[in-house]
Amino acid sequence: MTTRVDAAVTAMTGPAAPPRRNGELVFDAPWQGRAFGMAVGVVERLGLEWKVFQERLIAAIAAHPEAPYYDCWVAALERLVLDYGAATAEEMDAARETVRETSE
Amino acid sequence: MSEHDDDHHHPAPLSPVEVRALALEELLKKKGVIQEGFIDAVVSAYENDIGPMNGARVVARAWVDPAYKARLLANGTAAIAELGFGGPEGEHLVVIENTPTVHNAVVCTLCSCYPWPVLGLPPNWYKSPPYRARMVREPRVLLREMGLDLPGSVEIRVWDSSAEIRYMVLPERPGGTEGKSEEELAALVTRDSMIGTARL
Repeated sequence: MTTRVDAAVTAMTGPAAPPRRNGELVFDAPWQGRAFGMAVGVVERLGLEWKVFQERLIAAIAAHPEAPYYDCWVAALERLVLDYGAATAEEMDAARETVRETSE
Repeated sequence: MSEHDDDHHHPAPLSPVEVRALALEELLKKKGVIQEGFIDAVVSAYENDIGPMNGARVVARAWVDPAYKARLLANGTAAIAELGFGGPEGEHLVVIENTPTVHNAVVCTLCSCYPWPVLGLPPNWYKSPPYRARMVREPRVLLREMGLDLPGSVEIRVWDSSAEIRYMVLPERPGGTEGKSEEELAALVTRDSMIGTARL
């Protein structure tokens, strides 16, 4: 783990800051915690600055102010993955289809 | 927490965002961007390592700089801000000092108030009802069960955190560390020693 990314993550403030209660990050469901970890992981593994994700998160929240925070988080992460060519939209669609089929 | 007990054996279908998150995770693993276990490691690091590092630096500075230590004990929030730590949950931080005769431990009896900017995410046991109740009722017994057997001559003081005041323990500097640098000292400081469930 790079301290640089971690410092940036913990310093997030304003509407893009993750929900906290008594200082703790609040995950209403396990998938939210995994989405949190996934974003940190992707940013590190792709060698990016945290702000690259943060900008997309801010944009996602601005586009859907009424949407739950971690819905925006996932949308921002998808955008980042697409923008940096880590996966294609077609691959994403196929992966979702697989998840839907196996969860039924 | 679901209140629909009837549904326990019939998990709700995945919500659209869950499908997307799960699909993304599977895809990133398949493409080798993220390895199996990596996400767990990140989440675990946020719980155990990232935050406590800040507190450890505060403690190490107090050990090597008596003037800083005096400021820290007089006004924890301000002294901690000097090192660049703080934030929404770091207001009204109070630092309490362990001595050879007094051991301090921190609890939040009502919920799980915790000095997040210096200690990171609280460990699960900190939030557990047994810890919250027993740390007040029978701290010596509980601490012994957690691996800290204090001599009867050491007084135990328990500090109840709240939304207004967050406590952090300043552990005693271990013996034989006179020649160590501030950075080396910080590496010795554990999260639990700053909650007061361990000594160094």
